[in-house]
Amino acid sequence: MTINGTDLQIAFCGSAGDGTIAVGDILKQAMAMAGYRVIAFDQYPAEIRGFGKCVSRTRVTGEQVYSMKQQTDILVSLDDSHAIPHASEVRDFGAVIYDNAPMSLMMEGEHISGHLQPGQIPYALPIREISERATGSNRGRNMVALGFVAGLYGLQQDVFHTIIARKFKTKPAAVTKDNTAAFDAGFDLGAGEFLFDEVSIGAPPAKAKHEARMLSGNSAVVEGCLDAGIEAYFGYPITPATTIMERLVTEMPKRGKRALQTEDEISAIAATIGAGYAGVRSATATSGPGLALMAEMLGLSVMAEVPSVIFVSQRGGPSTGMPTKTEQSDLNLAVFGGSGDAQRIVLAPTNVEGCWRCAGKAFEMAERYQTPVIVLLDLYLSNRYETVIVSPDERFEASSSKAMVPAKSGEKYQRFAKTDDGISPRAIPGQAGGIHTVTGLEHNDLGRPSDQANIHMDMSEKRHNKLSKAVDHPGITITKRFGDEGDVEVGILAWGSTFGESLEAMMLARDEGIKCAAMKVVMMSPLPEQPISEFMDSANEVLLPELNYEGQFAGIVSGTLGRPVNRLNMVPGTPMRVDDILNEIRRLAGREAKDAA
Amino acid sequence: MTAELKEPVYLEEKLKDIQDSGRLDFRSGSLPTWCPGCGYYSMTEGVTNSLNELGLKNENVVCVSGIGCASRFPFFVDVYGFHTLHGRTLPVATGIKTANDDLTVVVVGGDGDGFAIGGGHIPHAAKRNVDITYLLFDNGIYGLTKGQTSPTSSMGFKTSTTPYENREQPLKPLMMVLSYGASWVGQAYAGHQHHLAGMIKKAIAHRGFSYLHILSPCVTFDKTDMTYQNMNMAVRPLPEDHDSSDQMAAMIEAGKTDAPGLGVLFEEIRPTLSDNLDAIATSAGADIKAKTAQAAE
Ligand SMILES: Cc1ncc(C[n+]2csc(CCOP(=O)(O)OP(=O)(O)O)c2C)c(N)n1
Ligand code: SF4
Ligand SMILES: [Mg+2]
Repeated sequence: MTINGTDLQIAFCGSAGDGTIAVGDILKQAMAMAGYRVIAFDQYPAEIRGFGKCVSRTRVTGEQVYSMKQQTDILVSLDDSHAIPHASEVRDFGAVIYDNAPMSLMMEGEHISGHLQPGQIPYALPIREISERATGSNRGRNMVALGFVAGLYGLQQDVFHTIIARKFKTKPAAVTKDNTAAFDAGFDLGAGEFLFDEVSIGAPPAKAKHEARMLSGNSAVVEGCLDAGIEAYFGYPITPATTIMERLVTEMPKRGKRALQTEDEISAIAATIGAGYAGVRSATATSGPGLALMAEMLGLSVMAEVPSVIFVSQRGGPSTGMPTKTEQSDLNLAVFGGSGDAQRIVLAPTNVEGCWRCAGKAFEMAERYQTPVIVLLDLYLSNRYETVIVSPDERFEASSSKAMVPAKSGEKYQRFAKTDDGISPRAIPGQAGGIHTVTGLEHNDLGRPSDQANIHMDMSEKRHNKLSKAVDHPGITITKRFGDEGDVEVGILAWGSTFGESLEAMMLARDEGIKCAAMKVVMMSPLPEQPISEFMDSANEVLLPELNYEGQFAGIVSGTLGRPVNRLNMVPGTPMRVDDILNEIRRLAGREAKDAA
Repeated sequence: MTAELKEPVYLEEKLKDIQDSGRLDFRSGSLPTWCPGCGYYSMTEGVTNSLNELGLKNENVVCVSGIGCASRFPFFVDVYGFHTLHGRTLPVATGIKTANDDLTVVVVGGDGDGFAIGGGHIPHAAKRNVDITYLLFDNGIYGLTKGQTSPTSSMGFKTSTTPYENREQPLKPLMMVLSYGASWVGQAYAGHQHHLAGMIKKAIAHRGFSYLHILSPCVTFDKTDMTYQNMNMAVRPLPEDHDSSDQMAAMIEAGKTDAPGLGVLFEEIRPTLSDNLDAIATSAGADIKAKTAQAAE
């Protein structure tokens, strides 16, 4: 599949300390500046110290795509011991670039050249030597390799110069000079080489109408929070959510807003709810273990009808699990966690732009429906970078609250008054005429504790029904169908980051002549039953791929709608492979499965 | 003996006097549901009078409570209230105060709420110097759940969960909060209502985290230990020469749990959480003065 001429995936692989992530970063910034769409995902070693493996993958395209490619076009090895397992990712006629005189002496078999497949094009270069000649040190190896890739594929040299200068602008001038020299030396070498590859990079697409921003999922959440006017943030550090907090504690004070590290996750959400009760937009962010601690507080937010926003970036579980691996196994906790019937809104964006939008919409929804809203990401989505282009006209509502109407004299304000839409006008502390007490106990219209049967039944219904309006909330797509219209052989239902790989697999299946469609589901709770049912009606077989062991969303869908789905579950700690989904589509469509290339 | 004749007191007149004094302004329509004789009745008087005397507006006060008999309090006062979860008063109150500095936040809870399930929050509210008032009602027992042992139950005390007697040493809450860095620490006794009311007023007036430890008998589940009779004998005023700016002197007084000293053990003025958050915003380049001026408009 080629997308608008340009579709190139480049992987740098090396040890921590080789500058692997740094060159990947320069590549994605430069390509975004040149006007391409970029999606990138880096893998770091779990340990802070040592020489663990770093992989930086960047996919450069003309149009927006939703996932990384299964196969890499160019692999650059900065450390063969780490790069060898990735050699098989490179496609036919793809390039493998490595040092012909590596840093340390190697035995036969330790050199990547011995691990290439026929058809892959090797470029054995004197990377270290060039670096030493250009800068007097071997520390420019990563830049030489990057320059070589840019020269070989004819990428815009001047854009790289700009980005290199920007990246090192706080360092002494010599740093920019050396890095540029190393890059240029590599570039000249690459430009002189013969390109065997059949794909070369096309001209960038026509300039987008709006500014492109390079954001990770977590930084998009931060931008969404700021754009929605967040006033207070409370959090406790946990991978992979910590970077949300680190950016907010930096950015919020600049705007006169308050952000605080609390003593634990219970306090983080308690303070978020306290601030929400006091009438300001507030949020917290965590991962599965933190969400588990927050469960009791979620119930309070539901019962007391106080808005709260909780960002959750999932990692491998249960318990401390796999902190630096991705997974989608906290869905049940997000949707059901807590005591009693505690319905809440759960949004799961499928790409970085969606992280921004769901973040902003979460504040609107929490306020409008007076409820907790959980935005569910995962490590893969939190940490991956994409070019995000949104119209500056797309804004979030500054206030979505149904405000108290002062009671007539002699009448007492009813905080939990019955209304047609189940949403009661809300007073906030400081407002005269609105005094009331909220409680986690069941209560009557006034907020007074009560355990009468009719009150508990009415109030349970109120809390449930008011959320049903959320599926029509303006400005957010909660389900969307892609691919073939009408009846299809296989319909893929996907959520969260796995939607990207599902879409890619669906398009490949269509290329093979399978009638196929995919639906992304962004609102996980309350479940958008109607569009999901219609989608399932149109498919002979429904496939639901997700990164958890038991099929949590499959359980919710089939339990709620009373119909079976084909589950595809795995927990490798890494994103699902497009090939695995594709094979499952082939199988369900009665075609032969094929081995991955 | 012949009774002396007095002027008859007419209830309505008396009521009008009370109303005119403003003392009922902070009472809600709901009457307290505590057992007759419970020490907690003292807080209704103490808090409502203090709020009135401090000239606060009802709508600018928020009462935050946990779960327990003491925590029922917000329903009995006419201010904004948040009856939260067991043990989670302080972080909720921190959120409220962080969101709106203009609110006066009064936290109420029991000994179990504060020092068992919620024990992890007190150090942090104290060290941050959140400008709130924490009224901790210590009855040495779990009242609401009908009489189990608490972190402040004394050794040898028999409860439904320590049927063979409590063998754990009780916590010393005042020493704890002093070492946590609370900027105002005091002790009062429900049996000395007048003194208690004065202490509540001082605690609320303090700018910063104030911790008031209130010894309050549970007449229903404690017939032997922390009874009015025993407490009346045990409590004493703090020595007249106690220096409330001396943290070590306060520590020594705080340790005397057999003869609890009533009064202000310690007080200091230092930046509050909000002061510090504003300072952070200022160093980040925000114009905080403009923000507050705007809010005042
Ligand atoms: C998470 C949780 N655990 C346990 C309880 C049950 N519970 C309610 S109040 C209470 C203890 C109350 O004791 P204390 O805080 O001393 O307040 P008191 O009733 O004595 O005023 C307990 C254990 C609860 N409500 N929530
Ligand atoms: S049980 Fe004890 S603490 Fe609770 S109201 Fe009765 S006397 Fe007071
Ligand atoms: Mg108690």
